[in-house]
Amino acid sequence: MIIPDSYPWELGETLGEHLERRGISRREFLGFCSRLGVMLGLGSLMGPSIMEALAQQRRPSAIWLSLQECTGCTESVLRTADPTIGDLVLDLISLDFQENLMAAAGHAAEAALHDAMEANRGSYILLVTGGVSLAEGGIHTMIAGRPAVEILREAAEGAAHVVAIGACAHWGNIQASNPNPTEAVGVGHIVTGKPVVNIAGCPPIGDVVTATVAHILTFGRVPELDADGRPLFAYGVRIHDNCPKRANYDAGQFVEAFDDEAARKGWCLYKVGCKGPVTFSPCPIIQWNDRTDWPIGAGHPCIGCTERHFWDTMTPFYGRLPGIAGFGIESTADVVGAALAVGAAAGVAAHAVVTGVQRARHKPDEIEKEEV
Amino acid sequence: MTPVSGQRAGAPPVRMGPRPGTSSPGNYRWVYLWHWPIRAMHWAAAASILVLVVTGFYIGRPYFMVSGGTTGTPYLMGWMRFLHFLAAGVLVATGIVRVYWLFAGNRFERWRALFPVRRKDWVNLAKTARAYLFIRPREKPEYLGHNPLQQISYTVIYAVTLIMVITGFAMYGQSNPGGLFHTWFGWVTGVFGGVQSTRLIHHLLTWVFIIFVPVHVYLALRVDLLERTGTISSIISGGRFRPANVKYEDDRPEE
Repeated sequence: MIIPDSYPWELGETLGEHLERRGISRREFLGFCSRLGVMLGLGSLMGPSIMEALAQQRRPSAIWLSLQECTGCTESVLRTADPTIGDLVLDLISLDFQENLMAAAGHAAEAALHDAMEANRGSYILLVTGGVSLAEGGIHTMIAGRPAVEILREAAEGAAHVVAIGACAHWGNIQASNPNPTEAVGVGHIVTGKPVVNIAGCPPIGDVVTATVAHILTFGRVPELDADGRPLFAYGVRIHDNCPKRANYDAGQFVEAFDDEAARKGWCLYKVGCKGPVTFSPCPIIQWNDRTDWPIGAGHPCIGCTERHFWDTMTPFYGRLPGIAGFGIESTADVVGAALAVGAAAGVAAHAVVTGVQRARHKPDEIEKEEV
Repeated sequence: MTPVSGQRAGAPPVRMGPRPGTSSPGNYRWVYLWHWPIRAMHWAAAASILVLVVTGFYIGRPYFMVSGGTTGTPYLMGWMRFLHFLAAGVLVATGIVRVYWLFAGNRFERWRALFPVRRKDWVNLAKTARAYLFIRPREKPEYLGHNPLQQISYTVIYAVTLIMVITGFAMYGQSNPGGLFHTWFGWVTGVFGGVQSTRLIHHLLTWVFIIFVPVHVYLALRVDLLERTGTISSIISGGRFRPANVKYEDDRPEE
């Protein structure tokens, strides 16, 4: 689908002309733009305006860096719901460099990156999947003999907009989890002075990437972001508040164990550790794989992958609360609390007994005295 | 320590106040300690803490289910959360009353009574703690209001309540990003290292109340039984009795 040079852009060609030449009808393009409008929270009536703005774009260049990552985010973006959209995302932009998808390799690939950066300095969109490692000068992620952090710094310098796709680019992901031996960090840690859009998730939903890029092209600026740099149109609400199993939650109907009767009925996964109540993501709405399903829909609790440090903070994935360090792996909050409460009750009882014994021992004297 | 009537050499290690009948009624005076806002706040807080603990444990780990099909099921978690938030509102209201009364109350209720102030009170803190451990119990200092040990433990409970309220509000705010609670209490999750740690702290601190309440009730019963000065009554009627022959550490200086 995206082989950047299968339909090369012609010099000075607008996106509208380019799509027309490729045989994508105006109706198709309008439908795409209307869906984008809905996803961005602007409404389908914004479709024509978005289309107008996008059609006038002249070869907006994009560079996609793959750094310390697993390429799962690329997979996710390629599997955007509608193949036409998938094509369009990558046709909206002229994807000049994408290591995993481009035909070129080795020196030719490095040359392509260099040329793209030089030709579009100050105007290209930088898409990044993967974080960088800082330990020992960044040698834990080397591409073409250079530390990833250097490549990122160089590419970000000439970028107009930076979009960090996936948890690795967002905050470092599993590499950055405790004890973080490579000192992995996200793109936002390195790139300063320009807004970094974090498309959170491991992996994120491809359609969110599409919509963010389209927003940048349409309005010339990044969408409104939350405190963690995530686009509000996608990460503005909790999974819990949009979950189709919310009614089961409210009714107190919970899965106790996988494969039990409640699980077969599709009840709420709260008790088996679902992190939907602390996770902000559009998963219940946009879903995955052509809107067929998503983790909770398939009976698996949410693991909170759109939240920073989820490997450390959301674990155990199949438990409601984090374990407590220093009390043993199996100790949970309630075990510790109950132990303390039993100790306190025993203390109270013992104290009462001692008080009673001492009082009884001396009582006769006193009563005698009093009666005198 | 002022000897109490009926005491002799080798007297009981558990200090006992004068019993009814050992002194004439004229030797007792009734002192008013707790104004009605404090008493109302105490009982409202007690009730709301009870509701919060019961519903909170359900929310944390739904420990029972009501059988039923997929239709006509009760709104169980919904009600639990509603009651939890309602009781939280009551608890916050009691907190507001208490804070106001820290500045409007008498000397037993004011902010200075939150912790031992004078050097003498810190010494008495040690003596009180000792006495509760059955070590030289006759040296236990007498206070009309809260003794230093009480002052510190109640202030700790206030602090724990404050943490419960802000962590609770932080979690509550998550359902409405950009809303009032989310905006005002968003910083809390950062301080506690994420929403899940905030939840853990909220959950763990619940046990402080579960431990505090029996100890509190036990000690209140104990002092009421031993000293016979109407201690428990004071949180209902507002006052207690003081025998004329006992010296109180927090008495008015001029008295």
